[in-house]
Amino acid sequence: MFDALVLGLAWLAAIIGMSWLALSMNNHHRQATGLPLPVKQAQTLRILGAAGLIASLGLCLAADHITMAILVWFMLLAASASSVAMTLTWRAPWLALMLGRHPASVPKLRGSVGR
Amino acid sequence: MFNNTRQAMAWVHTWFGLALGFVLMVCFFFGALSVFDREIDRWAIPETRFDPQPMPSYDQVLAPVFEKLRASPDDMAATAKRVEGELPHPDALKLDSLFAYTTHRDPVLRIGGEFGVPNKPINPKDDHQHVHGSATIDPRTGAFLADDKLKIGSDFFYPLHYSLHIHWKNLGYWIVGLAALIMLAALISGVVIHRKIFREFFTFRPNKNTQRSALDLHNMTGVVALPFHFFFAFTGLVIFAGIYFPVNQTFLKPLHDQGDQLEAARTGLPHKPAGIPASLASVDDMVTEAKKRWAKRDMPGDVGFLFIEHIGDQNSYVSLYRAGSDRVALVGQAIHFKASTGEVLLEEPAPTVVASINEFLTGLHLQHFRHWLLRWLYVIGGLLGCICIATGFIFYVEKRKHTHAKAGSQGARTVDALATATVTGMLLATAFMLIVNRLLPASLEGKGDWEEASFWALWLLTLLHAMWRNKPVNHARLSPAWREQCYGFALLAISAVLLNWVTTGDHLGKTAFTYWPVAGVDLSLLVSAGIAVLAARKLRQREREQERQANTIDCAESTNAHISTINTREPKHV
Repeated sequence: MFDALVLGLAWLAAIIGMSWLALSMNNHHRQATGLPLPVKQAQTLRILGAAGLIASLGLCLAADHITMAILVWFMLLAASASSVAMTLTWRAPWLALMLGRHPASVPKLRGSVGR
Repeated sequence: MFNNTRQAMAWVHTWFGLALGFVLMVCFFFGALSVFDREIDRWAIPETRFDPQPMPSYDQVLAPVFEKLRASPDDMAATAKRVEGELPHPDALKLDSLFAYTTHRDPVLRIGGEFGVPNKPINPKDDHQHVHGSATIDPRTGAFLADDKLKIGSDFFYPLHYSLHIHWKNLGYWIVGLAALIMLAALISGVVIHRKIFREFFTFRPNKNTQRSALDLHNMTGVVALPFHFFFAFTGLVIFAGIYFPVNQTFLKPLHDQGDQLEAARTGLPHKPAGIPASLASVDDMVTEAKKRWAKRDMPGDVGFLFIEHIGDQNSYVSLYRAGSDRVALVGQAIHFKASTGEVLLEEPAPTVVASINEFLTGLHLQHFRHWLLRWLYVIGGLLGCICIATGFIFYVEKRKHTHAKAGSQGARTVDALATATVTGMLLATAFMLIVNRLLPASLEGKGDWEEASFWALWLLTLLHAMWRNKPVNHARLSPAWREQCYGFALLAISAVLLNWVTTGDHLGKTAFTYWPVAGVDLSLLVSAGIAVLAARKLRQREREQERQANTIDCAESTNAHISTINTREPKHV
């Protein structure tokens, strides 16, 4: 049960990390928030994103033997990246949650930003 | 020929990918299904729907079972062609070696052995003087399960993934090996030709035209799971390296044989029988000793693989391998016992670095570990690979269909038909096989053969259907075959779930939370059916848009033609 919880947290950390990495890109930031991305915030988001992914690796290592943990982590990265990409495609404002903003507060964009 | 490296790489990626993408699709899809092959077996053979069992007692259960094991009639017939004189009756053949194999997901136990053949070989160099026999038993009772019940997951989908069931001269292995090699080349060339690998890492734009959307999805699914795609193609090649480079059975055979003898001398495990009869000590006691030793090494576990060599001889030994369900590497930490006394001959030391890497790479691909999250992540990885390949086909067709339509070429239409059959057709054939499994009576002789035949027949039919229905591609439009096959699959998948209920009484209300192997297959079928219906509806929407556009263009053209006719008839006033 403990392992399942830790692995669940590892997945969550990977999703949050990937979301921050996506939000550190100007196009995706505009898709999610409707706002342009200041350079300084982009750097912070990149660092946070990387930290999220490293935290995910740490949690994987806490749950499994190192050989297994590395595999789980790589696969979590793939699953998280694709789910973040799909969220950006269909429900981009949801990612605003990762910046502490409510999705309903995001103005609707005209046209297709980043498309 | 090419102006730059990117163009050359694009050529390699397109044409090699197209030529072997169909094979890769089979490898990826059935590879993804093979992650749950044992669970599919449970679905297909209802009498094996009970909990996984540990390796049973050899002394109490397996010893009497192996006395009843006989050589396979097929192998007897094949061996008869290689030896002089008539082979003895199977009842008279003596078991030389035996094995029993199980995993943490197996309720049933696979057993097998080699029976010695006294006949001389026709070819003096032929030193394989054995006939094989194998069976599946219920480890709780030792009862043999019927041989002609096909384990659809582990004996059909799984081998299809690596051999395509083409056994002639191992051709299937070679085709799959070539496809894996091409996959590696396609991944590298794909990375080279991708202009914005990081910038478009998360990009998928379904509202753009189909060509752009397909390319987005192709890039995204290829890049996010790049390590998975690379390592699975690579480790697939590593696993069958012995087939692709059979040096130890060809020009390095003398060295290989000498190596075997040296290893026997080093390890103390006899390479050949002594020719002196001896009895077998208690194997259960050896198992107890092995478990103690594994626990001391901080690797407590059960026996996954049991092997006895030179049975009934003084040189006989028993090898016990730990079920490596907590490690990526395959079964290992073997302990070998002298069969006649039960004394430990050898406790294998930690593997060398090279052996460890090999065990890790093969274990990574063969996944005998107990880790349900990682199993599902592998399924996701496999399906991402399928999406990558399928969107590659769609991109190929979309990019060329206008040019081919104008030129009257059948190229795009042919690729489209093959892609439809490979993507949706394969799903239909899979679901149909499960339906046939549930419809045919369990007592039917050769039931497994009928199931296999139904799979191939329906797959062929889907290709014919795709070829018949995809005329619109010649007019640069979407083939309705994709949509029809999506609906067909949804229908078959739901029918399979209902038939499982009707024929076994196992419905989701009963199996969910109590027997996940069957509930998991049923749920996966239902979810896939739902996705297929959504895809079909989207496809219909796109077809209608294309029809509207075509009608608008037709109307505009006919109006223009009408106006120009009037203009030519009307005298011009000056």
